[in-house]
Amino acid sequence: MLDFTNLDFDQLFGMKDDTNPLMMLVWILPIILFVFYGQRIQLYVTSSELKKGIKKLDSFREESRTELIDYLKKNIKLEVDPVKKIDQFIDYFTIMPVDMDPNGIVDKVQHTVRAREDYTREHLKSLSPQISDLELSKVQTLLEIASSLQMIYKIINHMFLTAKKQNNYPLILPLQMILPFIMEQAVAMKDSIPAFKLGQPVGDGIGPMVVGKMMLPCEKQTVSFQTVLAKTNFEDRTLYLLKAEGPGSTVGRPADALDDITSNSKIDAIIMIDAALKMEGEDSASIARGFGAAIGGIGTERFTIEAIATSKKIPIFSIVVKQSISEAITLMTKEIADTADDVSAQVYEMIKENTREGQSVVIIGVGNTAGVPQ
Amino acid sequence: MIFSKKKITLAYTVVKCPKCKMIQKRKFTEGDILFSESSKCNSCGESTLIEKIFGETLEK
Repeated sequence: MLDFTNLDFDQLFGMKDDTNPLMMLVWILPIILFVFYGQRIQLYVTSSELKKGIKKLDSFREESRTELIDYLKKNIKLEVDPVKKIDQFIDYFTIMPVDMDPNGIVDKVQHTVRAREDYTREHLKSLSPQISDLELSKVQTLLEIASSLQMIYKIINHMFLTAKKQNNYPLILPLQMILPFIMEQAVAMKDSIPAFKLGQPVGDGIGPMVVGKMMLPCEKQTVSFQTVLAKTNFEDRTLYLLKAEGPGSTVGRPADALDDITSNSKIDAIIMIDAALKMEGEDSASIARGFGAAIGGIGTERFTIEAIATSKKIPIFSIVVKQSISEAITLMTKEIADTADDVSAQVYEMIKENTREGQSVVIIGVGNTAGVPQ
Repeated sequence: MIFSKKKITLAYTVVKCPKCKMIQKRKFTEGDILFSESSKCNSCGESTLIEKIFGETLEK
């Protein structure tokens, strides 16, 4: 029998003799292995990490679909079983217009996006003709979330499976780099579901919240689709207060409303209040002022607002409340809610600084007005 | 992650009395809508208005 108590480690590992064959194997084998199979090993290691992420995306997708169907069954009086129709809606895609010739692309994009929104709204109404506008906006938002999570899962899974099928490590690298950012957005979307279901304000609603509070004592009128306007006075200036019609989950159509206001009245300044994505290292709920149209989305609303302001030579001022992507679409945090009075004070300060008595200002509260009436 | 703490977000409603300006924070209940009328004020009996609705995250 081998005596393990009497092993000479110096001899075994060649501490004294460089020609020890066991030691040579220990060094040379991994080198050969990594030269020929290095990328494949990395592919396996990376794959296991990606698989975990994709599994989470799959669960988010399923969870959002189930939440939507449950919400419909519990809260809406349905005439037909919604499952089949919801599954169809979730898989709907949008083909963006060709941009080889960019002339007129904004109108085309706007038409495509609005056509999709109108189609979804009308078909959701067909599930329950008595559905209120408030419930309809909630269901539409929940459907958008489920549809987006489905699309994210499909794209990421496709990229992963393609790389695996081709045994192509470089193909998996961009996926590995982009996945943490995608996961951050997907988690935020999944976490936003309870707030939209309960009709609570989200971080993005800080603009509508500030303007909605200013509108409270005024008479309101619908000025464009899902957008309300109120007229008031402040230190001999006329204020046109504009926001999406709450408390439904919508961003309204502020550009159409601005077009209507500027065609009927002379406007001397536009002030936009919105939530803005904070940079890493910046404090959440910090307030910043600036110039230019503070409005996100696909870009069509911003384009129209900028075009109106340019043609009529109206300066645009902005006040933004910084927040993360997660804070923007989930239940409003205390810190963001606490900035409302400060933002309001800064709006009045901005009006006094940039306009004279007798002039008119449009103040737009930009963002999703879920849970924020006026 | 093994060591990451579980986060729970609790929703709160802040009501303010328009007469005596008393502020009260309570747990959010379904049906609470910003700027709408809420319960009677504890000190003066006037109807309070919902001033804020927000979430606070706790780590477990």
